[in-house]
Amino acid sequence: MATTSSVSEAFAPAKDAPLSERDKYWIVVQKVQAGQVGAFDALVQKYREHIFSVLYNMTGNREDASDLTQETFIKAFQAIGRFRGKSAFYTWLYRIGINTTMSFLKKNSRRRFINYETINEEVATAEIIERLTAKNRTEKGVLVRELQEKLNESLQKLSLKHRTVVILHEIEGLEHAEIAEITQTSVGTVRSRLHYAKQQLQAELKDYLR
Amino acid sequence: MMPKSNPADPNEINVEDLLRLKRSEKPDSAFWDQFDRELHQRMLQTLVKKEPWYLQLWRGCSGRLPQATALATAALVATVLAVRPALLGTLQFSDRAAGTVLASAAQQDALTLADLPQEVTDAADYQIDAIFVSDALSVAQDAGYERDFGMDVIQVAVNDTADYSADSALARAAFGQTGMASLVF
Repeated sequence: MATTSSVSEAFAPAKDAPLSERDKYWIVVQKVQAGQVGAFDALVQKYREHIFSVLYNMTGNREDASDLTQETFIKAFQAIGRFRGKSAFYTWLYRIGINTTMSFLKKNSRRRFINYETINEEVATAEIIERLTAKNRTEKGVLVRELQEKLNESLQKLSLKHRTVVILHEIEGLEHAEIAEITQTSVGTVRSRLHYAKQQLQAELKDYLR
Repeated sequence: MMPKSNPADPNEINVEDLLRLKRSEKPDSAFWDQFDRELHQRMLQTLVKKEPWYLQLWRGCSGRLPQATALATAALVATVLAVRPALLGTLQFSDRAAGTVLASAAQQDALTLADLPQEVTDAADYQIDAIFVSDALSVAQDAGYERDFGMDVIQVAVNDTADYSADSALARAAFGQTGMASLVF
């Protein structure tokens, strides 16, 4: 497992000139391609939570998301020699993860069950939870669990392509252009899918909206 | 049409606000420790390269296995050729053995028939290597029925029209049959 020092070493640039985030990770990729296999750990440490988050919200299952995240990194490791840096590394990685998950979901469309992730404590103190608790006059813990269940159910009701753009934009915070690059569609397609998906979600979550 | 969010209203809750709560669904550090271990193990496994199935099949066809198979086949053929005369002799012996069994069955039957009245046994007809069928009882009883011997039953000498369809002891007694045919089949 990569330690903090090894991660820093992996990102140490050859020159003192300031580098963008994209350039930093491109240097790490080049090190891996040059044979420094240990540098791949730095990429894993950097992106594993993001990839897991996307795949968890796509599948709604914690264990499946863990397996698929590992599979994503293994595929990336095997194919990294062919990565030419035309897109950002994380874009390429997201694309591998999403394609792997879509194949998995299509193959296992009937055998599905939900397995939720634990909610971080900070949610309980979020302002929005305070407002919802006051509005619904519900105990906070109960409300958080209900809301988590309702959110996940609503997401799972969306089609895969709509669910993906919502996750990448609203949860991962990616821009439309980045999402278009990941999903290999146009910005217009991303915007229309996002609009449609939010309409569907609004209908599902109307009890929590005002 | 989805209502636009009003930044002036602090109390408004929209879909985006709810979805952002999902950023808090995160696994703990123990999960990531296990994740790292499993990932490293799987990555090491990928380093052991496996040949595609068609290459494995090609190697199997040109390797030691087909050589061993050919040798085993040759040995089997040689063994069959060597023991063939002995095998043929065994088959003949089996026929004679079957005849011995039938003959002993006939002897048993003869003991049974010995219990019958003299006038009944005098009318019986026996063959050496067949189940003895006596229609003496049926003649004595004047059953007056036709017995039909099918091609797939043991041939008996008496009255070519015996019927083996009924296999119960009572029927055998009525038909004058020993019932040994059912045991042979």
